[in-house]
Amino acid sequence: MRDEEVEKGLGRDPRILLMGGAIIISLILLLLPAIFPDMGFGGLRYGLDLDGGSWLQLRPEGAMAQIDTDIGDIITHEYSSFLNTTVTVTGTTDTSVSFEVGTLVTAKQIESLGYGQAAVSVGMGGGSAITLQVDKNHVISRYLENSYKTEVVLSEDRDGLWYEIRKQTSAEELEDILGDVGGSLILYKDGVSQATLVKTKEILEDKLNLFGLSDVKPIIVEREYILIDLAGIDIETALDLAATPGKFEIRIRTEGNESIHAVYGDDIQTVGIHEAHNGVWGVPFTLTQQGAELLKEAAIETNAVNDPLNHEVIMYLDNNIIFSAPLNDRLADNLKIMPVQDMSASFGTDSGSKESAKQLESHLRAGALPVNVEVIGSGQVPASLGSQFKELTAIAGLLAIIMVSFMIYLRYRRREIMLPMIITSISEVVMILGFASAVKWQLDLPAIAGIIVVIGTGIDHLVIITDEVLYEGKLPPTKVYLSRISRAFGIIFAAAATTIVAMICLFWMGFGALKLFALTTIIGVLIGVLIARPAYARIIKEVLKEEQE
Amino acid sequence: MKNINVEQYIDSYLKKVSTTQMIIIPLIFLLLSLFILGWSFVSTGTPVELGVEFTGGTIVSVESQLSFEEVQQQFTSQFPDTPPISARDAGGGWVMLQFASMDEAAQMKLNKYLTSNYGSEISLRQMSAEYGQDLQLSAVKAVIYAFLGMAVLVFIIFRSAVPSGAVVLSAFSDIVIAATLMNLFGIALSLGTVAALLMLIGYSIDSDILLTTRLLKRRGKLDDKIKGAMKTGLTMTTTTLAAIFILFLVSTFAQYISSFSRIDIISDISVVLLLGLATDLMNTWMLNTGILKWHLGREVPIGKKKRGRRK
Repeated sequence: MRDEEVEKGLGRDPRILLMGGAIIISLILLLLPAIFPDMGFGGLRYGLDLDGGSWLQLRPEGAMAQIDTDIGDIITHEYSSFLNTTVTVTGTTDTSVSFEVGTLVTAKQIESLGYGQAAVSVGMGGGSAITLQVDKNHVISRYLENSYKTEVVLSEDRDGLWYEIRKQTSAEELEDILGDVGGSLILYKDGVSQATLVKTKEILEDKLNLFGLSDVKPIIVEREYILIDLAGIDIETALDLAATPGKFEIRIRTEGNESIHAVYGDDIQTVGIHEAHNGVWGVPFTLTQQGAELLKEAAIETNAVNDPLNHEVIMYLDNNIIFSAPLNDRLADNLKIMPVQDMSASFGTDSGSKESAKQLESHLRAGALPVNVEVIGSGQVPASLGSQFKELTAIAGLLAIIMVSFMIYLRYRRREIMLPMIITSISEVVMILGFASAVKWQLDLPAIAGIIVVIGTGIDHLVIITDEVLYEGKLPPTKVYLSRISRAFGIIFAAAATTIVAMICLFWMGFGALKLFALTTIIGVLIGVLIARPAYARIIKEVLKEEQE
Repeated sequence: MKNINVEQYIDSYLKKVSTTQMIIIPLIFLLLSLFILGWSFVSTGTPVELGVEFTGGTIVSVESQLSFEEVQQQFTSQFPDTPPISARDAGGGWVMLQFASMDEAAQMKLNKYLTSNYGSEISLRQMSAEYGQDLQLSAVKAVIYAFLGMAVLVFIIFRSAVPSGAVVLSAFSDIVIAATLMNLFGIALSLGTVAALLMLIGYSIDSDILLTTRLLKRRGKLDDKIKGAMKTGLTMTTTTLAAIFILFLVSTFAQYISSFSRIDIISDISVVLLLGLATDLMNTWMLNTGILKWHLGREVPIGKKKRGRRK
């Protein structure tokens, strides 16, 4: 009769119900895949260090700068070296620069540097007077592009307008370049914009998908790095896939299937977004000055400039043809007399052409990520070692539980106290693992260390509760019991709070590997403090009551 | 029977050791540790030896029939420009080699050599020196912020300067002495050991909070309260120590019993926790207890004075 009452009391207690429910849900989650392996839900996922595979930590190389400079000076500097003559700026407005040069030039020549559209008239003393329609930001970024031979894009954030230089550089180097045109560097930081970081990540993901690794999801860490975990892939392959840019080449057909080399991928300066120009879909891209020169030479050598239809331009990515088309007549004419930097690979006007253009754009970009990536960390764990680690940590965990049980027994000499303690501890592990499988966490070695810590503090807290309750060696009257319990929980909450604060700092500082450790510890402490320990307090009271009666 | 023994030990400890001794002895250790760390900082640039995550470099484990000296020899002759700076037996037929930070081309060469000679069954970890520097800064920041966060929380919990200060001092001393022991035993600071130091902040505070709460909020004779707190606290710390000791044994020495390889990160974490928790026994039950004893003993005369004034 009395036993029944006790059972009922325990069974109805919300704290016991909560813990019981949590354990059952956790067990279901953990055991689900063993029963229904195809559901793809529940069960534990292991990190690379337990399952084997490799990882890469990449940093996009680049720099962000805020710059102040006079565009007239840039125009003077650029055209005097390009035309090898004197350049005098006669007027500058927000949208145009007027200047005079010492030789006769054509608008095409002026426009070939890519600063803007030019109107040319005959100037005084046998030279030319030119008015260039410009945009200030474009002139600056174009100047940087020409100096760095790399893409420079504008990006805006709450700190203002930045020029993103997509190449490894330094503040000193940039100051030198700006010094040539009397400009100054206002702000400089290494790294690329968030947008570029995200774009780089997406392209990497596309590229990995292209090779059949559809479940590999690169992630951005610390707003600066890209982390890629490749389960079951060795480091050599991983580096080949992710960190080595695809080999891009432009060739021009000579006879039949023969072709000659024109330009490599490193002479592609920028790739634009696929667009329809007069209804024709295409992908604009620019070559470096050297690349433009090389293309011109190849086009003349193959006679593509006079007979474009029989001498197509072919683009290869990793030795696969991704584009092939003849030069258009206007471009062919231009190439006869000068190098051309701005190009467009054009398709047709239908929707299929739009798709092709889109694909070519991503191929061009996959060949070259927006920025180079530097491998700042990499690693590999063979699957055999991982499974050893799994076994070993399981053994360590079991032995630790046995050891703790033994210590607790030594101290209290009562199985009725030891058993609930150990069972509560094990329940905590089950609940943490259940949580991990519910939110699809990958369990790795640091996370396991985190669980061990939680169990350690868990046992400590159960000892505190037990000692408060057992102060005189037996269960005190209810009123005293309640005040004791609340004091015990005061200590426990305070202790848990300090652990959580320490772990939040660790999480927030965000070392890649230790983030999961911090998170596991926080979740574990919360589960322990909010679910397991209140339930234990209730159980231990019942156990002692039963014993006394 | 055993229970009574423990109480007798506590009794005789409290009788034999004076409050001053309780405070002075741990402080001497703390000062000595600060001196050692400072000296190491001046002579080597860092208070504790830095692991590969922080200095940059490459760690490789390969399965080999050869002894680790022979494997080291083999890699030294193969890579004269970037030879392994150390090698050791990692257990289970694995040899672990450590290389200094190298450039990407050299790394690629090493990777190629490894895969072509040892297949894909190699363990490899590589960090660039530059990123290591970033990480060092983050690690230092994490420890400082975690410590400050803990300190603020302790002051909020106890709302009293001396007891809170004692808890914070004891936690500080735990970390400093643990770091010094790491230095003396040649345990490098790795991500694992930084995690362990941070855990120590959470762990060591438990017994200090127990002690302070018991002494400040419970009624009864001071010595009895200390005894009670010690009994609970020692149980807590010794159980934890026992569990971590097992973890240390299994992760470090399993290689000698069977063909297992050692798990460095777990081994690192457990050894630092062992050292730190052992230190914590001293800091909680001597330093913190001593300060509280002195503080609570001092309060009585102050109370008398107040009453005196009212008269």
